[in-house]
Amino acid sequence: MATIKIDGLKKRYANGFEAIHGIDLDVADGELVVIVGPSGCGKSTLLRMVAGLETITEGTLSIDGTVVNDHEPGQRDIAMVFQNYALYPHMSVFNNMAYGLRNRGVGREEIKRKVADVAAILELGDLLDRKPAQLSGGQRQRVAMGRAIVRDPKVFLFDEPLSNLDAKLRVQMRIEIKRLQRRLGTTSLYVTHDQVEAMTLADRLVVMNAGRPEQIGTPMDIYTNPASMFVAGFIGSPAMNFLALERMEGGRLRLPGSEAMLAEDDGSNGAPVLGIRPEHMRTVGTAADADIVLSVDAIEPLGADTLVYGRALGQEGEIVLRLGGSHSIGEGDNLPVAFDRNHLHFFDRANGRRADVRT
Amino acid sequence: MQKRVTFSHRYLPYLLVAPQIIITVIFFIWPAGQAVVQSVLVEDAFGLSTEFVWFENYQELFADPSYLQTFYRTIVFSFSTAALAMGFSLLLAVMADRIIKGESVYKTMLIWPYAVAPALAGVLWFMMFNPTIGIISFLLGKVGVSWNHYLNGDQAFLLVVIAAAWKQISYNFVFFLAGLQAVPRSLIEAAAIDGAGPFRRFWSIVFPLLSPTTFFLLVVNLVYAFFDTFAVIHATTQGGPAKATEILVYKVFNDGFIGLDLGGSAAQSVVLMVIVIVLTIVQFKYVERKVAY
Repeated sequence: MATIKIDGLKKRYANGFEAIHGIDLDVADGELVVIVGPSGCGKSTLLRMVAGLETITEGTLSIDGTVVNDHEPGQRDIAMVFQNYALYPHMSVFNNMAYGLRNRGVGREEIKRKVADVAAILELGDLLDRKPAQLSGGQRQRVAMGRAIVRDPKVFLFDEPLSNLDAKLRVQMRIEIKRLQRRLGTTSLYVTHDQVEAMTLADRLVVMNAGRPEQIGTPMDIYTNPASMFVAGFIGSPAMNFLALERMEGGRLRLPGSEAMLAEDDGSNGAPVLGIRPEHMRTVGTAADADIVLSVDAIEPLGADTLVYGRALGQEGEIVLRLGGSHSIGEGDNLPVAFDRNHLHFFDRANGRRADVRT
Repeated sequence: MQKRVTFSHRYLPYLLVAPQIIITVIFFIWPAGQAVVQSVLVEDAFGLSTEFVWFENYQELFADPSYLQTFYRTIVFSFSTAALAMGFSLLLAVMADRIIKGESVYKTMLIWPYAVAPALAGVLWFMMFNPTIGIISFLLGKVGVSWNHYLNGDQAFLLVVIAAAWKQISYNFVFFLAGLQAVPRSLIEAAAIDGAGPFRRFWSIVFPLLSPTTFFLLVVNLVYAFFDTFAVIHATTQGGPAKATEILVYKVFNDGFIGLDLGGSAAQSVVLMVIVIVLTIVQFKYVERKVAY
């Protein structure tokens, strides 16, 4: 059982490229922290620095209170699950799992017992003599998990472990990983670009963008209270809608072509933007009650929900609306839409941060 | 739908394969046939009469202790050369694989020796080890080793092994380097996290994954040492001293063209042919198919 303390961690490559501009993060014992972000945001680099596969340019990394900056990966007592599983192709499943134990001088009988235990948990008992090439994708994934678990390390590191699986298996393994992590109570860092995976797995979420952590918090905290336009757009599916606002005299903000004043600011926000999630809008009877009138250009009935895509007067981007159930809306309809006043977000487009407004 | 290639003219396909067939027949099949015919004949020293003797040449050959000695020597020579050439090139490849700066210069320079003609390679080493003027023999003398491959058979043997292996290192290096670069990085990283040090990583992960390359190179190197080292030996020791460096291919030449025992020499080359055929079958059977690890 262990804690991780990341303090001012930076990564700069030999060619001068700065992959990580400084990140602070404390991971509590037994916590599952998910690092999420688009490709190239530095999330894998961060994980690899924790693993010891990348050197740390600046800052300190401690596991359980010990600074491990200069420790070899093998000395850090961590286990990692790779995206491509990285199973040793010439070894049987048993030997794949036993390899780390043998390197640490664990006795033959103990290895047998530990591998058997883990194989039972992961239902790999019948596969111990097989080579990785003879396994299916899901089985390989489980062996990779087994190889990590069997060593009983202080920390699990997951580097996009599910992205090579098909959609159905991914959901299944996601639940399995969460259940396993809870059961073992091992401190874990999990990197993914999939925001659904991030939301469902995380105790806490780190949303990264361009080498910086944009926001760190619980999934619901980040969903309900995104700190920036980037976070707001990245977490949630379909993504949050952003609507340009007009500033009237007195700093009052409204949608172009609408009479309703949505908020007030002191004029310090450069270009105020309204953020509203697709699920926080609803249709209303008349245009008089509406915040915007959506001219519908596409509809996606999903069964439980219906997604309506359209455009509104004075707004550049496409707007998405999520309605519960099924609806008889046609393409080309003009749909009066009202916003849920409790779920309005205001941002400043100039710096992308949450704007300071009064509602 | 017809999948076979069709030609408008009946004889066109035969015409197209003719050059290959003609070359093979003239330069390979015909001489090989000649060798087989020659190997059952005995000719007098002046070439005036020949006599058909069935398999007497072969019987003599295998009853001759010096031939069996040569056979044994050839096997030792081949395996030593292959082991030296492969071991050294693997070492170089592992080091080249780690290099980041000036990688291409390093690789190019390591490939150069392959362009050196075998006879020149032999002479090069011969000169360096020359007891009178050689730089290496001079340095060896400084540390108390008296080097004279004109007199010392073991030293002569070592010399030809080194010269023959040096020639093959470049070739092996290219294959080993390609093999090393094909080993996924994440496997090495996984092994590092599993607590394996650099040596253990190499022997338990990288080396087993290289086994298809290693096996392929072993066959190629053995074939090379068996059959392609004539020039190296001819340019350096000429089989001497006292036949200490005489391998099978050299004995064929020596007995046939110096000793003028054409029948016996032909019989030897037929034996060599059989060995080549066996090695080729081994190569096709196991190397062409991927070696499973």
